[in-house]
Amino acid sequence: MKDYETKILLLGIGNSGRSDDGLGWAFLDAMQDKLTSEFDLEYRYQLQIEDAELISNYDVVYFIDAHLDQFAQGYHLEPCLPLRTESFSTHQLDPRTVVYLCESIYNKRPETFTLGISGVAFDLNIGISAQAKSNLSNALNFFENSILELTINK
Amino acid sequence: MSQKLVIDPVTRVEGHGKVTVHLDDQNKVKDAFFHIVEFRGFERFIQGHPYWEAPVLVQRLCGICPVSHHLAAGKAIDQIVGLDPGDLSLPAQKIRKLLHFGQVFQSHALHFFYLASPDLLFGFDADPVKRNVVGVAMDYPALAKKGILMRKFGQEIIKMVAGKRIHGISTTPGGVHKKITVKERNRFLDGKELPSIDTMIEWSVEILDFMKEYHKKNSAFLDGFADYPSGHLGLVKKENGFLELYDGNLRATDAKGNITLDDIPDVDYAKHFYEGVEKWSYLKFPYLKHIGREHGWNRVGPLARVNICNGIETPLAEKERIEFKLAGGDINNKTMHTHWARLIEILYCAEMMKNLLEDDDIISNDLVRKGTRRSEGVGIIEAPRGTLIHHYEVDDKDRITRCNLIVSTTHNNEAMNRAVRWVAQNEISGQPKVTEAMMNQIEVAIRAYDPCLSCATHALGQMPLDISIIDQYGNILDERLRN
Repeated sequence: MKDYETKILLLGIGNSGRSDDGLGWAFLDAMQDKLTSEFDLEYRYQLQIEDAELISNYDVVYFIDAHLDQFAQGYHLEPCLPLRTESFSTHQLDPRTVVYLCESIYNKRPETFTLGISGVAFDLNIGISAQAKSNLSNALNFFENSILELTINK
Repeated sequence: MSQKLVIDPVTRVEGHGKVTVHLDDQNKVKDAFFHIVEFRGFERFIQGHPYWEAPVLVQRLCGICPVSHHLAAGKAIDQIVGLDPGDLSLPAQKIRKLLHFGQVFQSHALHFFYLASPDLLFGFDADPVKRNVVGVAMDYPALAKKGILMRKFGQEIIKMVAGKRIHGISTTPGGVHKKITVKERNRFLDGKELPSIDTMIEWSVEILDFMKEYHKKNSAFLDGFADYPSGHLGLVKKENGFLELYDGNLRATDAKGNITLDDIPDVDYAKHFYEGVEKWSYLKFPYLKHIGREHGWNRVGPLARVNICNGIETPLAEKERIEFKLAGGDINNKTMHTHWARLIEILYCAEMMKNLLEDDDIISNDLVRKGTRRSEGVGIIEAPRGTLIHHYEVDDKDRITRCNLIVSTTHNNEAMNRAVRWVAQNEISGQPKVTEAMMNQIEVAIRAYDPCLSCATHALGQMPLDISIIDQYGNILDERLRN
């Protein structure tokens, strides 16, 4: 029996009413029945300052969002390093700024990653494009076969 | 040469607005406007939908105050199924009120800590890179942590009642669809997973102490900045005229406290209000018919509510209201005191949430009532930003045939324009150069109203604001755009 259960958060960002912008949420929808007790899911339209408090309660955090870049495999995973960014609105924070605030205010530094999934259509519409569905499928396969597998067998 | 000053977008507000200040060749302000440039047409496209969809559809007006629209529409739809607010079961009424207090609490916390406090803590002329909530978090982490947890507490109340923090569903025609469990309720009382409701009350008192101390040190600014006469409008309790946020009579006073709307039933609002229009804004200008467009407009929101009410039913908030009256006068027209009034309401909401959380009615199964079908319903509540009116008519096939929404920010349209003109006349007019601090003062004046421009125009997409200076020939001489 494990002494300590790693707490992992999957934080899906987007809006299912804007076509492929719903990729982050669709990823969570697809994963929710496959996850073990270490994982929690949260859905967000956009990141705000209180999300710094949220991620401070986890060991590992994945920010999952649609991406405008067209990645070769349809998705891209990279570490999310703390960075203070500036934008006209603090209602919509960059994941790196959320990590930066978590570290600065709460003195916590979870392992953080960004999983970007390539989207191609972002107009007002419910439903993900065929291309984005394929990218989502690739991202799910990758996550299940590597990250999830690793976590379960750890 | 005359000039035009443009602020585009206005920041730290909910929505996309634009300010233009027209100067003459002596740099004297000729006129100033707060333009709302979003358009959405929500009232139109809801027509034809079945009436029971209204509370779910209309909350998509906004990601900040969907609960307010959900509840106002829910109250209106109750009437379509034949039920006035008092006809609902007590548990349903109390669950809806708990949801409402959670919403107002989190919205006011968001506004004060995230949007307004940077101006108070850092000053008008601080570097804009620092003058935001991230700057507050870095320099005042203890304050920021409390702000975050207060907002979270309200959001978790919303999640408990409506299932989600944003765009959840609670109301159903004639009541609420979900009961609250003892375990769900106790989470807010025991302080194990979240700071308890008692802690929320304690922190609300602390932030009021901060505001009173700030007022002592900065009274010239808080008392004098954008102080101009206006009417004040809001709901009051039917039985005693006390502060009321969920269901009451409509009361308005003029700038001196004379009653101009005498506790009328909220469903009669249409007999007393007109909505004016201007070519330069999509936002309408509501006013009292019997007074007219020039003088019949009113402020709504925390300052108006604290002004017009006879008292507050919770003891700590009532004590604060009395202190507020002593500092600002019986009728207070000082725009910056809106922040102070907002904090009194935060405390009121916290006290009311405690009362409701400790009331076993909220864990009852008695959730829905039925009545006899009607063809029209009016739902009015006090949303965080002020009086919110939803009005629906339906045909015999249950389809909505008419929808009228008068949103809090719409009521405040004239007041915000007056605030912009006040700053233009008092801080910008005649100055040889328009500085960043002067521009920010325009935003500070607008920001006091916590406008939700998306709601008011019923808009979508990015939400910035802009300011521009225009000369007598229409040339833009200076402009601030934020995207």
